[in-house]
Amino acid sequence: MSTYVYGITASAPAALPDGLTGVGELPVRVLTEGDLAVVVSDAPENLRPKRKDLLAHQNVLAEAGTAGCVLPMRFGSVAPDDKAVTGVLAERADHYKERLRALDNRVEYNIKANHVEEAVLHHVMAENAEIRALAESNRQQGGGSYESKIQLGEMVAAAVQAREAEDAAALQRLLEPEADAVSVGPESTGWLANVSFLVDREQAETFLAAVERARRDLPHLEVRINGPLPPYSFVEPGPAEPAGTAAGGGADTGAE
Amino acid sequence: MSVVPAQQTGGGGGSSGLYDVLELVLDRGLVIDAFVRVSLVGIEILKIDVRVVVASVDTYLRFAEACNRLDLESGPRKDPGLPDLVGTMTESGARGKSKGALSGAAETISDAFKQAREGEPESRPRARRSTSSRRKEEQE
Repeated sequence: MSTYVYGITASAPAALPDGLTGVGELPVRVLTEGDLAVVVSDAPENLRPKRKDLLAHQNVLAEAGTAGCVLPMRFGSVAPDDKAVTGVLAERADHYKERLRALDNRVEYNIKANHVEEAVLHHVMAENAEIRALAESNRQQGGGSYESKIQLGEMVAAAVQAREAEDAAALQRLLEPEADAVSVGPESTGWLANVSFLVDREQAETFLAAVERARRDLPHLEVRINGPLPPYSFVEPGPAEPAGTAAGGGADTGAE
Repeated sequence: MSVVPAQQTGGGGGSSGLYDVLELVLDRGLVIDAFVRVSLVGIEILKIDVRVVVASVDTYLRFAEACNRLDLESGPRKDPGLPDLVGTMTESGARGKSKGALSGAAETISDAFKQAREGEPESRPRARRSTSSRRKEEQE
């Protein structure tokens, strides 16, 4: 029976709720190895990245993280069996302990932002006389020719894009001082900013207040915040050596 | 099914907040080479769903149309839902700073726009917003 892995903690999480289930609605268990513990369940047959299971993964980590720091695995990590999991834990214990110490009492807040279209168009028009003039001329001609519409749209799109970069930077500048670390997430057309902040639990209120200030300062942005989350964006990759082959072969954590 | 108990999901506990978290679950977190990762074939779909090509004729026409509408609306009476522009003019002079390939967010912008119109109280982190059902479906 293969084993699905959720995350690594410093010691067995005391307070996992009874009957907690994970992917495939399978019961969640805790394996221990030395000072470390790992939250697992059986891996369902044919595990796929379905929304329900993604949520289950996140939910298990949220529960495991209430008691203390958890190093979250990326979704979909499956080991051949429990023994393989504890084997990896034993082999790289130093590395994981170092990470757990570094991230102790810290949580991730992920911030994503989009423009409010109407508001950003107002900005763009207000800042750019050329765009205003072209828009005005188009309107007087009942919308303008196809070519002039394209021309206007192209200018507006370029201006909006420039604003995206500026606003993303501005948002990050406003929040950075309240965080211990910052991790910029992948770009996408789904957002103009996607930045994760590592925040001390005790400083969470201060950070959230900064987010509120940023919302007020940048009202043409729709700012979305998610957290506190396990520090997904701050678990550094493990040691580089491929360690899958020899169990307990002494391949250790390298740069510690 | 509760996603993130006792959490800030500002921008809505709705589908966009959900997507925002799932993105982290999928793209970040610890990867251990000794473990197999599940095939992520389905995930490409999840990602592509929010991607729109902005540098397109459709987008340009849409923006042109939006500008047209915009001025009509904001003539003498300003839409009360709009933020106060005067106070928010941070940095201008950024024209021409665009970096070539457009990465803008036409579709998401229009989502945000719709959502904003549905009246989200501005400064409330937990502001409830009716969800964009389109996204929700896509995440199935």
